[in-house]
Amino acid sequence: MAKTRKQKRTSTTAPVNMTPMIDIVFQMIIFFVLTVEMERDAIDERVRMAMAPHGPLVEERDPRTVTIDINERGELSIARVPLSPGQLRAIMRNTVAIYGQSLPVVIRGDQDTLHQHVNSVMDICTQAGLYRISFAAIKQLN
Amino acid sequence: MAHKRTRTRVSLVDAELSMTPMIDIVFQLLIYFILTFEVLDDIAHLDVFRPAPDAEQRDEMETPNVLQIVIYEDGFTVNDRQMRLPAIERTMERLASFDPNQTVLIMATAHSRHENLVEILDLCAKVGLTNLSVVSMN
Repeated sequence: MAKTRKQKRTSTTAPVNMTPMIDIVFQMIIFFVLTVEMERDAIDERVRMAMAPHGPLVEERDPRTVTIDINERGELSIARVPLSPGQLRAIMRNTVAIYGQSLPVVIRGDQDTLHQHVNSVMDICTQAGLYRISFAAIKQLN
Repeated sequence: MAHKRTRTRVSLVDAELSMTPMIDIVFQLLIYFILTFEVLDDIAHLDVFRPAPDAEQRDEMETPNVLQIVIYEDGFTVNDRQMRLPAIERTMERLASFDPNQTVLIMATAHSRHENLVEILDLCAKVGLTNLSVVSMN
């Protein structure tokens, strides 16, 4: 009988040890929430954008925003997925069909890429019915 | 009674000991976050308008008073006069003081670098010209 009482007492102290576990679980939840947010704007990090110190700072981003990366050699990609101009055209057409012509398009062009590559992307957007295009540039290096 | 006292003391010591792994892991997490933390650069979005494909030529012909900037591989011209960036900025400032809603037609040649276009768009943003039209020139 005395032994069972002892066991009961240790089992009542066990819930006290839950606290650190809960702490860590919360930590992990926070971590996953943050990483999911980061994954959403997957971009080509090798694109070195030009400087625009006077441009308007991006504060609130529309979640529908389509970001098209153009690297130094003029190759296109969305979310690190390389695309041919034909594929991009099909994607833009489908996306406009779903979200309408208010869809925000951001072109992240490398500073050394030739205008003809940027122009072909702008043409694709215009053909899809998007007349308002944004160019991403670095406002300030941190 | 004596037995009970020692028993409770032991369980208290146990509870304090269990803090150690938590602290370990919290420190691990801290170190992980510090190492993976990366300061992101501030990004600016420069908005431009693109004339509709068929309206492109009409646009140029109908509005001769528009400020027309051409970006070549090796420089800029403003209304067919060769200019450097500081001079372009002064011209734009004057224009913006009259009418900030005036259309600026920016034409870029196929082999000009994207950086030059961004430079011009940045100047427009600086002086407050927002009605920007970007077309390509062969």
